[in-house]
Amino acid sequence: MITLWYGILAFMLTTYVVLDGRNFGAGILHWLVARNPIERRQVIAAIGPLWSWHEVWLVGTGGVMLMAFPRLMSASFSGCYLALFLILWCVLLRGISIEVGRHLSDRLWQDFWDAVFVFSNVLLAVLFGAALGNIARGVPLTSQGSFYLPFFTNFGVRGNVGLLDWYTVPMALFCVLILTAHGAIYLTMKTEGAVHERSVRLARGLWLAAIPAFVLITLLTWLVRPQLLHGMAVRPVSWLTLIISAVSIYALVTGLRHQRERLALLGSSFLLFGLLMTGAVALFPVMLFSTTDNSLQLTAAECAAPAFSLAIAIAWWIPALILAFAYLCVIQRHYAGKVNVSKDNQELY
Amino acid sequence: MQTSLTDAALWHRIHFGFTVTYHYLFPQLTMGLAWFLVYWKWRALRTGDEKYNRAARFWARIFGLNFAVGVVTGIPMEFQFGTNWAGFSKYSGAVIGQTLAMEGMFAFFLESAFIGAFIWGERRLGPRGHFIAAVGVATGSWLSGLFILVTNAFMQHPIGYAVAADGTLALSNVGAFLLNPWALVQFAHNQCAALVTGAFVITAMGAFYTLRGLHSEQARVYLNTGTLVGLVASLLVAFPTGDSQAKMVGRYQPVTLASMEGLFHGTRLADVTVIGQPDISQQRLENPVPLPGALSFLACGTFQSYVRGLDEFSQNDWPDNIELIYYAFHIMITLGTIFILIMAWANWKRWRGRLESSTGLLWILMLAFPFPYIANSLGWMTAELGRQPWLVYGLFRTDSGYSQVVSAGDTIFTLIGFVGLYFVLGLLFLYLTGREIHKGPDAPYPVAKRQEVAV
Repeated sequence: MITLWYGILAFMLTTYVVLDGRNFGAGILHWLVARNPIERRQVIAAIGPLWSWHEVWLVGTGGVMLMAFPRLMSASFSGCYLALFLILWCVLLRGISIEVGRHLSDRLWQDFWDAVFVFSNVLLAVLFGAALGNIARGVPLTSQGSFYLPFFTNFGVRGNVGLLDWYTVPMALFCVLILTAHGAIYLTMKTEGAVHERSVRLARGLWLAAIPAFVLITLLTWLVRPQLLHGMAVRPVSWLTLIISAVSIYALVTGLRHQRERLALLGSSFLLFGLLMTGAVALFPVMLFSTTDNSLQLTAAECAAPAFSLAIAIAWWIPALILAFAYLCVIQRHYAGKVNVSKDNQELY
Repeated sequence: MQTSLTDAALWHRIHFGFTVTYHYLFPQLTMGLAWFLVYWKWRALRTGDEKYNRAARFWARIFGLNFAVGVVTGIPMEFQFGTNWAGFSKYSGAVIGQTLAMEGMFAFFLESAFIGAFIWGERRLGPRGHFIAAVGVATGSWLSGLFILVTNAFMQHPIGYAVAADGTLALSNVGAFLLNPWALVQFAHNQCAALVTGAFVITAMGAFYTLRGLHSEQARVYLNTGTLVGLVASLLVAFPTGDSQAKMVGRYQPVTLASMEGLFHGTRLADVTVIGQPDISQQRLENPVPLPGALSFLACGTFQSYVRGLDEFSQNDWPDNIELIYYAFHIMITLGTIFILIMAWANWKRWRGRLESSTGLLWILMLAFPFPYIANSLGWMTAELGRQPWLVYGLFRTDSGYSQVVSAGDTIFTLIGFVGLYFVLGLLFLYLTGREIHKGPDAPYPVAKRQEVAV
């Protein structure tokens, strides 16, 4: 049951990254692909009606983490206190910039909120990337099972580490790159005209750049925490997630080559999904790895809620998930295809 | 040196108190407005009368602004359980995490899937689809309220739990946990209060446009629907929901009831004090104006019932700020009574067909809308301060719940961050809402700006 909930938590967080990741990416590319106000409205409309549905995956992940792994939530969130509030404030600013920007058709007003939008998306991608790096590298857990992470210490990856070091910074940059590439693919699907052309070019370039970056980050991960590759090798599930990734790469490349945009988006989504799930498999069963003393690490079993709570939660979680996707299908049927500026003009006149 | 600036427990409390109070200014209106929107969409579908569609469109814009602020201020709340209340999360996460996760899974997915489509998608969805989207948003927002109130009810009156081997809480009886009688009463009370806010805001808009001599057809719709719902909801807030809530407090948190009423000494024929200030050091009320026996009657059903006073409980278990609870509760009750009177008067005039010509009453209705917000906030202050010194009533104290690793200074820092952000957010909200009100409900239905598309 604990393994199952570990899987669910990983699944929800990964889904969040895949879904909201394309909005981050689109947000980072905002100024690069859209050069005038109308083009920028196109990008915002592409993120459009469902960005808050995507963000709910983050909220849902938080709830599930509290329910299934209360100890993980209490240790990690209080430990990363300041970084977490930076994330929360950026999420807040991003939400406001999307909602408020379109209310006035004033050039200066929209430029300002576009700037807030780009800034918060870049910072969020960096912070989530750094967070991923911290999960992989570990945190300075004490014998009380808690920690308090500074922004940086000596940039080393052992002992008294900080949020940023020589491993988590490249990881953060790698995540920015991957999410930007993912967002570019999404924009090729949702937009037309000049924005579309630029997105196609950027998507190709960014995904090409992602290949050496990926090799480098894998190498660094192996240096920082060799146990992860071992964890991957001993769990056959990782073959499944790796196969998903491989098939996704094929889909992504084919999609980009033949301008089959849906296929490319599916490819890039499942590639992110496959890679992150592979990471989750490799981490299992350790949830919080300790950089100070291996015996202090917190495993899923130590963090988990009692079995009965977990069993109950399965009973409602599955129908809730089915419902969530049912709503999505209803809505997406109405919003399929390209953004239509006359129908999706989201300015509140 | 130990000063109040280094008192981490205090600052964690203020941190949560500030963010949650500010947050709840917005959901109370969205929950209140949601069913008005459903009603108008339904009327429009049935009668084909375009004025209901216009009303729904106008209020959807106000709704959208409130919803957006509600969402962005609500997301931090959930994470603050982990960041600021790590002890509490660890202790009770297995129980309260259930409803918080359910809120995300059942309510937020529903709400967020339909909200964008509801506000901007009328042309995409068509009339029936747009009505369904309104129902989805309304259901989602009320479900979200339900899960939050079940969570709060567990903290007020914990049932359905077991204590695990490591001392933390586990769920033992899901049915009891979800159908906590406290939750059902509190939910009913809270949702009626949200409807009061919605009704007063809609009525105020109608009064404003009428006094201005603008949008008279729309103003009439708002006044008619607003005053009717306003009266019914104001009555329901007081009776039966408020009454049952008070009895529930008397039964399970007698020390809280004594604090709410400033009853220092237990007695039969206990009074309700209409005016009076508690003096904690002397353990009495200053200049009391009592209604004899009213508390015994309201709390227990007969005038002769004995109501326990604060002196019967260890001071260690007293809520730690009795004055605030007392004022919050009393002002809430007073405002609730005034709401009933105003709305009864407005309905009387409306029934006589004279509402739109009663300038004095329209002024009152226009200026009354902030007060339901105050009453809602005070009601929550009564509930949350009344629960002290417990985080989970009778089980877990507030001062063991906060994050030990987070210092008072860090907490003050992030609190100031929120105060600043929320101040700016409040200005933006008021500015944009003001614009919508200025443009009014009769602004033309938007058509694509052709020259832009052509570019």
